[in-house]
Amino acid sequence: MSRTITLQIDGMHCTNCAMTLEGIEDRLPGILRAEASYRHARLVVEFDESKVDEARIEKEVERLGYKVSAINR
Amino acid sequence: MVNILIAFVTGLTTGGLSCLAVQGGLLASSLTNQIENDVQQQVYKPSRKRIRRAQRPARAGMARPIAAFLAAKLIAYTLLGLLLGWLGQMVQLSPYARAGLQIAIGIFMLGNALRMLNVHPIFRYFAIEPPAFIRRRLRRFAKDREVSLAAPVFLGFLTVLIPCGVTQAMLAAALGTGSPLGGAALMFAFTLGTSPVFFAVAYFATTLGQRLERNFNRFVAIVLLLLAVYTIDTGVALAGSPMSLTRSFNEMFARPAAVEQPAGSPPYAAVDGENTVTIRVLNTSYEPGVVHAPAGVPVKLRLVTEDVVSCSRAFVIPALGVQQLLERTGEAVIEIPPQEAGTQMAFSCSMGMFGGTLVFDL
Repeated sequence: MSRTITLQIDGMHCTNCAMTLEGIEDRLPGILRAEASYRHARLVVEFDESKVDEARIEKEVERLGYKVSAINR
Repeated sequence: MVNILIAFVTGLTTGGLSCLAVQGGLLASSLTNQIENDVQQQVYKPSRKRIRRAQRPARAGMARPIAAFLAAKLIAYTLLGLLLGWLGQMVQLSPYARAGLQIAIGIFMLGNALRMLNVHPIFRYFAIEPPAFIRRRLRRFAKDREVSLAAPVFLGFLTVLIPCGVTQAMLAAALGTGSPLGGAALMFAFTLGTSPVFFAVAYFATTLGQRLERNFNRFVAIVLLLLAVYTIDTGVALAGSPMSLTRSFNEMFARPAAVEQPAGSPPYAAVDGENTVTIRVLNTSYEPGVVHAPAGVPVKLRLVTEDVVSCSRAFVIPALGVQQLLERTGEAVIEIPPQEAGTQMAFSCSMGMFGGTLVFDL
């Protein structure tokens, strides 16, 4: 089952940050699509619920050096 | 020449770290991959000694890919500068239109500076974001390559798709040059300026780089802010407005004799029955800065140059739509139609940096 969430991200300061965040597509199994926008300070993630959960995604975002300020489901 | 020097210094002081912030991740991905491959090839039988030796950063090996990346980036941005300068030339702009473009460029730079200083989220709209599919392609390409030089070179070329804030401002300035060679020279100088810092930080790749980057971001933003104010101000001067700070500054520090023509002597003279005023064009000024001419009659404006190499050769009178490139050494004459008594007409170089006023009151 796939689900999409939108995370509001604090700490992005340029386009490269968006690219870094989108890298979770390759790093976390179960992530189907990750699209970040520096302009809107958000990360949209589509993921396979059976392989990964919200908490894991949030933890990965924080490991990359950013903060999740809100999650829209 | 002055502009190219400014571009180089901008690159040297601010562009290097700004570019590294945006493009460094891409370079790092391809280099990390290479190091990992080296480690895997060397470690056949896991032994502590061999792993330690293999994991020592192969500094000498890193120099070539970083240099290749930067060389490719230099070529790509110079070509882009050429293209933008050519585009700027294709669209033949009047002095007022060029002034408008310069002010718009200044506002763009200002927006970027305020974005970098995190003044308000709305300034994020000044950032150029390439579409998601390009970002994905770039990321995947950086990650997957094994070959030593092909990836850095290709990625260096692709950095034109992810220009950092300062580079974006320089690209806008290249468009404003209205000359393919001018645009190419500007981008070459700027990108060359960014290279030493980029190389040094990428090569040593220490946490010091990260800490430096955070503080330097503010320094970069402030320099960009100052450049933005200067660009807007010279645009205002180019439009002929007396409200320009640059114009006031030049007049304040020019020699008195150079500002106001001495009474009863050239530059105004009735030559062969024709009313002629003469302006000496110097590298950083026009003399005199205020020129009095007769009203109600046609006037010939004589511009004299002697070994002038600066942008003051690109002479502009916005009110008349005059744009003329003067010879390095020589004389040019501009015909001015009769003007009403009391008319004041601003003249300047094509970037609005140096200038003066024609006053028709004789």
